[in-house]
Amino acid sequence: MEKLSKEEVLHVARLARIAVSEDEIEKYQISLKQLLDDVEKIKDINDISEDVLVTPAFEGCKLRSDDEVDTTDFSKFKSNIPHSVGDFIEVPVMINE
Amino acid sequence: MSKYLDLSIRELHELLVSGKIKPKDLVLEAFDKLENSDLNAFITVCKDEALKRAEELENADKSSMLYGIPIAIKDNINTKGIRTTCASHMLENFVPFEDAFVIDKVNEAGMIIVGKTNMDEFAMGSTSQTSYFGAPKNPWDKTRIAGGSSGGSASVVAGLLAPIALGSDTGGSIRQPASYCGIVGMKPTYGRISRRGLIAFGSSLDQIGPMTKNVYDNALVLNSLVGYDEFDLTSSNREAEDFTRLIGEDIKGMKIAVPNYFISDIVDSEIKENVLSVCELLKENGATVDFIDIKHLEHAVTLYQIIAMGEASSNLARFDGVRFGYSADSNSVDELYAKTRAEGFGSEVKRRIMVGSYLLSGDNAKEYYTKALQVRNSMKESFDEAFKKYDLIIGPTTTTVAYHLGEGMDDVRKTFLDDVLVIPVNMAGLPGLNIPIGFNHEHMPIGLHIIGNRFEEAKMYKLGSFIEKELNLDLKVKEENHE
Repeated sequence: MEKLSKEEVLHVARLARIAVSEDEIEKYQISLKQLLDDVEKIKDINDISEDVLVTPAFEGCKLRSDDEVDTTDFSKFKSNIPHSVGDFIEVPVMINE
Repeated sequence: MSKYLDLSIRELHELLVSGKIKPKDLVLEAFDKLENSDLNAFITVCKDEALKRAEELENADKSSMLYGIPIAIKDNINTKGIRTTCASHMLENFVPFEDAFVIDKVNEAGMIIVGKTNMDEFAMGSTSQTSYFGAPKNPWDKTRIAGGSSGGSASVVAGLLAPIALGSDTGGSIRQPASYCGIVGMKPTYGRISRRGLIAFGSSLDQIGPMTKNVYDNALVLNSLVGYDEFDLTSSNREAEDFTRLIGEDIKGMKIAVPNYFISDIVDSEIKENVLSVCELLKENGATVDFIDIKHLEHAVTLYQIIAMGEASSNLARFDGVRFGYSADSNSVDELYAKTRAEGFGSEVKRRIMVGSYLLSGDNAKEYYTKALQVRNSMKESFDEAFKKYDLIIGPTTTTVAYHLGEGMDDVRKTFLDDVLVIPVNMAGLPGLNIPIGFNHEHMPIGLHIIGNRFEEAKMYKLGSFIEKELNLDLKVKEENHE
């Protein structure tokens, strides 16, 4: 069965910001290859439109006026933050990383 | 044993308005059934909230047709104060602080939320087996899938645990489980219902829609869900309309088309026979039925893989362990992102994000994504041409009936192929409706897919209701099947 190389799997995982274990790499070598083979078929499709259809919003996309408005109350938002200190979101040290 | 929940919304409305029953009676029956159900259709139930709401409604205005009716909500639709998991470990403990637009509408119409339904993780799948909480079961045969991704919602309605459920549909996720479970499911025109508060999967494809036991009920619920929302830039600002208004009208003179691809060899022969027999019924009643070609239907799965996976990789980038959701122990930001996403997402979601990220990276974006959008436009133009000549397009909703739990789990392509007949509707932004039209030799439901032109849902309900009345199927699952 054709499969991706280990390096190719690690490249794709890096793009997606997803850690993969050694055990998973072997599975992804096959399953990602199957899906990437499928999407290759797009290259063989002919008789297509010059224009693209990005989103089928037929009445156009309506933007709100560019005015200042109240944003979400931080105290409500805070309840779902995994790690916080006071009114700050806590993340790993980034300086000199 | 059903006392009230097997009745139509109209029948329940009469009982509620006359005072013969109270909203609390429906809520208590729903919880009596769902607490004893082994369908695994719910992720979270809201008994205390539902009973409180039922009491509040006792002295409220009863004029809404949906007053006091229990409803189940797919667990990717935000509900204030009620956890919303997307069937994922990533959001296992996420409690929204705002309601989605449709939840405001549900509340305005006087409905009572009884719980959040099971689904494929982040709506990615066609069987609901990618749920972190285990798969919901099909009430017609509990060894089979309920379909996906709105499998829990379909199971709830078919299992008579609630008369209404909301689903979401990115590539058939309302219509396909509706077909597998023998219920009515509508994916409205893109923009018809605001997506605000629906946790995004494929933003150019996602739509929320109603799932019900019959066509009239479905149209009633759609009436309550539509409306302009300034916080969804794709929301339609069309005036409200009554989607039940054409139900009961004669179908004589209606022009119906069936795409040849929809009745090709990819479809199981019993399903094909049922669809062709409906075509005969329509012709006998004065409609015309022609067989036509629509461009690129055979490429629907490839388009979906590129567009949906690309959009998913972008939408799900927000799950980084910082602001909400699961957060892995880590010593650096890079490690936080990678470990959180590795541990928080299931394998189907991770696979799709990885492929989507690859497709959108560097020159690939033009080679795959832009090309897919050109094919998509071409498919949409072909539908446009067809709707210049025809009122509606029909075909089977699925290529097979619901299959057994666990079947095909080792084939990563199967989940996409299951939706081959329903994906084109999302690509073109059209409305699609599933209605039950029969059973196969194992007594598993078969569905008909009715496709309308943009914003012509009322016409679809007219045809759907006519077929429903003529076929007069017994769509009630035997009680011992779902208790």
